[in-house]
Amino acid sequence: MGPRWKGKGSEVKALANPISRSILNLKSSLIKSNSKGILTSCSVRLACNPEQTNLLNQTCFGRCEMTIDKDQWFQFTLEEACYLYFSLKCIKIVGDDDSVKTDNDLWEYMTSKKVDFPNVFKAYSHLRDKNWVVRSGCQFGVDFVAYRHHPSLVHSEYAVLVFSKGKVDGNDRLRVWSDFQSMLRLCGSVAKTLLILYVNTNGEKVIASSPSCLDGYSVVERTITRWSEERCREDQAVGMK
Amino acid sequence: METEDWSGGWSDLEVASPLSDKGYDLGDSPKLQHRKNVTRAYWKEALGMAEIVSIKGPRWRTTGIVRDGKIYAFLEDVLFLAEIGALHLLDDKDECIPLKDIYMKVAQGIGGLSWESFEVYKHLKSLGYIVKRHGVYWTVKHAKRAPASVEGESGSQRIIDNGSEDISSITEITELFRAVKIKDEVRPVFDVYPPNSMFKKSSPGDPMFILCINHGNPSTKEQIEDLERQCEGIPLLFCYVEHGRDHTMESWKQKLNNPIVKSICCISILYMKILD
Repeated sequence: MGPRWKGKGSEVKALANPISRSILNLKSSLIKSNSKGILTSCSVRLACNPEQTNLLNQTCFGRCEMTIDKDQWFQFTLEEACYLYFSLKCIKIVGDDDSVKTDNDLWEYMTSKKVDFPNVFKAYSHLRDKNWVVRSGCQFGVDFVAYRHHPSLVHSEYAVLVFSKGKVDGNDRLRVWSDFQSMLRLCGSVAKTLLILYVNTNGEKVIASSPSCLDGYSVVERTITRWSEERCREDQAVGMK
Repeated sequence: METEDWSGGWSDLEVASPLSDKGYDLGDSPKLQHRKNVTRAYWKEALGMAEIVSIKGPRWRTTGIVRDGKIYAFLEDVLFLAEIGALHLLDDKDECIPLKDIYMKVAQGIGGLSWESFEVYKHLKSLGYIVKRHGVYWTVKHAKRAPASVEGESGSQRIIDNGSEDISSITEITELFRAVKIKDEVRPVFDVYPPNSMFKKSSPGDPMFILCINHGNPSTKEQIEDLERQCEGIPLLFCYVEHGRDHTMESWKQKLNNPIVKSICCISILYMKILD
């Protein structure tokens, strides 16, 4: 399934404005203003000037909360905030006591909030590093949805599930065939390809207090699609009229 | 009397809900307009609540609780209105407390409010529902009219049985929520009433439902039954807040194998009505 662009000119606009460039501009703007996000339970809030608001919307990081403040307040998921912090290194994060969190403090907090955070964050970073726009997949019962560019220009192509290789208990999705059938049926209905990201720890132990454990992780991508035997036969037919 | 806006005074609000998907060519973001009618309230640190001193607009008919002739607002009421510029929260030096500091109060868990609870409150209020913290009466008059079994929290009954209408009632309320463990798996959080232009705090009627917020996995049958016993007769709605750009409130209701259930009605959300 190839990209489904929305309307005339969207593909041209997307090619002329690569996401990678917008992310570089965002990084530079946030570093320049010494931006500090506030850690709030399972999200991070950040006050942003108009330029940053524009860039965050272009790159689809966070959700803008409209307030009366002259700056716009954005709310980021833990994965988004960690990507800005650990991967792009363009924000600092403060706790409820207004003190700046260290790398290890923040990592410890994140891993305490979500059981599978290291694997989910690794998968999120894997897609973002490849300049996919990654958003929550909760509407579709998956972990993420991935877009080739801005959601206003193109429909998302992939519904993403994150699996952990080497997990003792196994994964709690796609355990029986009916799970595959319902997930594939859903993906088909919304024109997305099911993408499983297998995060392999490669024997690295999850060190709850440090993000350096991710360095040894690897990600394997696998798509799952339904094979239609009748369509395949018709597509492959030779000499038939 | 003028016909009042059923939504509690949002008619002068430019945009009531957060920005959703933005187009790629964003340009200037739409902004909230500064309001003419702005309520002033003093933050009472010891109470973890705000005392409303200058009431502007009809929204206070459906927001805040009344004790001793004064309106007190919980932190979710304060933050919601401060975000849209309808309330100025002042400290004891008469200076306006900025939004950032109000966010910090939520982050510190003041008054038993969690971020998830605030997100749900904000979502429902933006849609016009009337929302109140579960476990307290709107007014003392409301408490006296309500049958003994209506309010689920024994703490609130204790306040009314004392018969006191002075500030100590507010103190007992704040103590009640100071003791709340925000990270409890599931608990009733808000009483939700439908939009109602004739709403009266002194006789609000029963809530449409009591909202319970799940912080972890879906509730078990035993947990649901236990909560239903606490909230006798009032339908329950279970909610899980998922953080993400496509933020939607996922709500569901588990159907129990309960012989007295006569019907299940689906509107935009699911709830279960137990009929006698």
